[in-house]
Amino acid sequence: MKRRGRGMACMWYPIGFTVAANPSAAVVKVNEDGTATLLTGTVETGQGSLTILAQITAQELGIATDDVHVVSADTDATPMDTGAIASRTTYVTGNAARMAAEKAKLILFDVAAPLLGVKATQLEAQDHKIFVKGFPQRNMHIGDVANHARVVSGQPPIGSASFNPETLALDPETGQGKPFGTYVYATQIAEVDVDDETGEVEVLRVVASHDCGTAINPMLVEGQVEGGVAMGIGFALEEEMLFDANGRHINPNLTNYIVPTSLDTPEIEVDIVDSYDPTGPFGAKGVGEPTLVPTAAAIANAIYDAVGVRITSLPATAEKVFKALQAKREQQPKQIGTGAPPAAGASNNAAVQ
Amino acid sequence: MANVTLKVNGETRSASVPPETTLLRLLRDQFNLTGAKLGCDVGDCGACTVIVDGQPVNSCLMLVGQVEGREVLTIEGLATADHLHALQKLFEHFGSLQCGFCGPGVILSAKALLDENPDPSTQEIRDALGGNLCRCTGYTKMIEAIKGAACILRGEEVPAVKSA
Amino acid sequence: MAEKPKVIEKPDVLEQPDILKPPAVAPLVTFPIEVVVPEVRQQTPAVGQRATRADGRLHGLGQTKYIDDMYFPNMLFAKIKRAGVASARIKSIDTKEAEAMPGVVAVITGSDIPCNSFGPSLKDQPVLADTRVFHAGDGVAAVAAVTEQIATEALEKIKVDYEVLTPVLDPLESLKLATPGVHAPSANIYGHKVIKKGDVEKAFAESDHVFEGSFRTQMVEHVPLEPYACIAQWDANGRVTIYSTLGRITLGRADVARTLGIPMSRIRIVATVVGGNFGGKNEIRAEPAMALLSKKTGRPVKCVYTRAEEFTSSTTRHPLIMDYKTGVTKQGKILGRKIRLVLDGGAYCSWSETTLGKACILSAGPYNIENLYAEAFVVYTNKTMTGAMRGFGAPQVCFAYESHMDDIAKALGIDPLEIRLLNAFDEGSLSPTSQKLHSVVVKESLLRAAKRFGWNGIGNGTGNGNGA
Repeated sequence: MKRRGRGMACMWYPIGFTVAANPSAAVVKVNEDGTATLLTGTVETGQGSLTILAQITAQELGIATDDVHVVSADTDATPMDTGAIASRTTYVTGNAARMAAEKAKLILFDVAAPLLGVKATQLEAQDHKIFVKGFPQRNMHIGDVANHARVVSGQPPIGSASFNPETLALDPETGQGKPFGTYVYATQIAEVDVDDETGEVEVLRVVASHDCGTAINPMLVEGQVEGGVAMGIGFALEEEMLFDANGRHINPNLTNYIVPTSLDTPEIEVDIVDSYDPTGPFGAKGVGEPTLVPTAAAIANAIYDAVGVRITSLPATAEKVFKALQAKREQQPKQIGTGAPPAAGASNNAAVQ
Repeated sequence: MANVTLKVNGETRSASVPPETTLLRLLRDQFNLTGAKLGCDVGDCGACTVIVDGQPVNSCLMLVGQVEGREVLTIEGLATADHLHALQKLFEHFGSLQCGFCGPGVILSAKALLDENPDPSTQEIRDALGGNLCRCTGYTKMIEAIKGAACILRGEEVPAVKSA
Repeated sequence: MAEKPKVIEKPDVLEQPDILKPPAVAPLVTFPIEVVVPEVRQQTPAVGQRATRADGRLHGLGQTKYIDDMYFPNMLFAKIKRAGVASARIKSIDTKEAEAMPGVVAVITGSDIPCNSFGPSLKDQPVLADTRVFHAGDGVAAVAAVTEQIATEALEKIKVDYEVLTPVLDPLESLKLATPGVHAPSANIYGHKVIKKGDVEKAFAESDHVFEGSFRTQMVEHVPLEPYACIAQWDANGRVTIYSTLGRITLGRADVARTLGIPMSRIRIVATVVGGNFGGKNEIRAEPAMALLSKKTGRPVKCVYTRAEEFTSSTTRHPLIMDYKTGVTKQGKILGRKIRLVLDGGAYCSWSETTLGKACILSAGPYNIENLYAEAFVVYTNKTMTGAMRGFGAPQVCFAYESHMDDIAKALGIDPLEIRLLNAFDEGSLSPTSQKLHSVVVKESLLRAAKRFGWNGIGNGTGNGNGA
């Protein structure tokens, strides 16, 4: 018989490396027509970082995403980057890109200021224009300024910057310190059906409420959460590398190492929590890894809610759940008629002192 | 060596290769059609999916002798000179692909489905993609895009996506 | 705008002469004429837009070139021989028969690598194992041949004489100092971390209830759809270009410089397109070996891992053994928590130090706990090296602390949502390392998720689900 249960889990996760320096550098060049190029050493591994970095650069310059071309991942042509790891790209490389764009923008402001009859500090960049704050009608197209910068002023608008999160080393004895620049938070709630005769667990629905600071691109955040939840389901229910007694791999293949297919993943609902981090680019933090952190716990808690067995080791395969159900049945005294639930505190894993 | 002649994306192609060559290797190494990918080479992941005589197949499991005289559609043959296929348009619009490696296989599995079933349910779409592994996306936006493409191909409006 | 699906016509077997006619002219364009820039990419302000990805269009057209899609003139294909034994001394490696095979152009072993060790922190990992094998997926030799098939066959001809040793597979065994060291004479415990604040024993004494729980997680692998791959080629000025799936090219260049003993200015690493990483492609693998094969042969050399090698010879997620003890008031407020973590650190250190640190720091959960003692160990075992994988220990400890939290909630008869709201961080809360936290929204995420899901309070805690 299928029994339905739901379980929740919340989590926190840091952005960047633990204490250690993990800088990123970036270069932004504005072309003579107001479009731009971003040079970054980061690697696009599928998460969409190059689009995010283009959006951040575009925002700083007041132009559109498509106006920014991103060149990446070439040690000859792009500045150093600690890499696509630890969910750091939006925060660290994003900050570097924004700061580099800002430097290029300030050159444009220096060039535009005398042309608009104001000081450089009175200027803003938005909607492809450089204009006087409070007087949008006094403006020049960014392309005209950029062209003037090269052809007349001899000041090509180019900016180079780097960023490293602020941390404080941890005390070697107590571990106290400031290991990361910022953290993200999330909650996931899973709904499952557990077949109490076979132990099979089916995930029906996951609601994932994630903090990423400002969502630079909500569509890409959703994609990361959906992918992370799928990976979390695999971690919770299906995946395991097995070794024999001699340490040789038993299942180094996709036939016997089961990853979630479209048939295993449920309806995933993504909710982005309103949040703003002043230390991140336009308030952004990051989202890549946190997405799979709470999934297994939410599912384990849902299994407990459904059939009252606490699975304490992953993966919660059907065999494991089945064995736990059998053990539970053997433990319970036979009750006739009442069907009353077991007393609180009677779960296998909670010892009351 | 085995001689094989077949139609690939509407064009007759020929090659002379060892008989144990798979369709996947034929497409990639001989015809330079690298859209079909090698993910596992044993038919577990679906990254090599192409359409042979209207059916989606794991091209790593077909030997060249089995495709003699047949019609193969690869991802490179999906768009026309004028248009992206509706699936390609909507996969782009919904952000359905991330690293993209599973993309050609998924899109072709979806095409085979829509050719047969112009109005598939979510479950039918999940079934059709069951042999295509994706590690990046969780399949959610793929299903949205396939549903949307089905609408376009039926001449209907694509429903707006529900965002976070 | 409706678009008719393409109809594929079956060839008529009687029309043999058609098949033999010259091929029809292929479309001359490489992309459709209708190439429009999506509206959403042209919007300002740019931040907050659901901008489509530029690579998304290329992916859908099948035009994205991953490393295995790249070809260079005269390119060779390389394969790596895997040890197949978990722990052994290498007495000798005989490559003569392999080298003599027609089509094999070069074979190298660990002794050919100028500086045969690397690693993000401890440099304990060899490019190719030369004297010792520490896990069954260790590479012991690399072959470059004119086809992948020949390279694979050549691996069989390489004879390795092993003195097989008893492997250590259980991390708890490895933790016992008496166990012979996996990397002897170095200790098995290669990382240790403590986080300590307040007085946890006093907190337990003052608690209304103390709960204990033990949890374990398994070794899993990233399974990127694209297996690891790289291509190495040199120019006449002694500069090597390596196309790689590496996620960290600056570090990669430093590692190649170090292992090959050449200046960084002579190395170019390009990693423009990757089919998934998830942490498994964050250190070098075969790049130095491929560079050497390319140098030896004077030709570009490509190496693509098989799916099996992705499991046996690339990094995996640390299995964790986690023991929790938590003291609470009867209302469910956490007064103290004690945690012990043992990380199965596999054959080599890789990213274990980072994982150890993060797991330890995160292990208490997003909760205000004034009295805390968390201790974590990472130990060597003779299994696949454990390294960076999406979350660095966080998914494992979250499984533990959130399962534990629900156990406590049930025992006390409290709604799992309420107990979390009672204990969770607020803006300005102090973390386990006493860092003042900013932009904290864990309670918001709890409430939003609960609302969106329709969490209807303490319906659970009975252990009996609602039934379908």
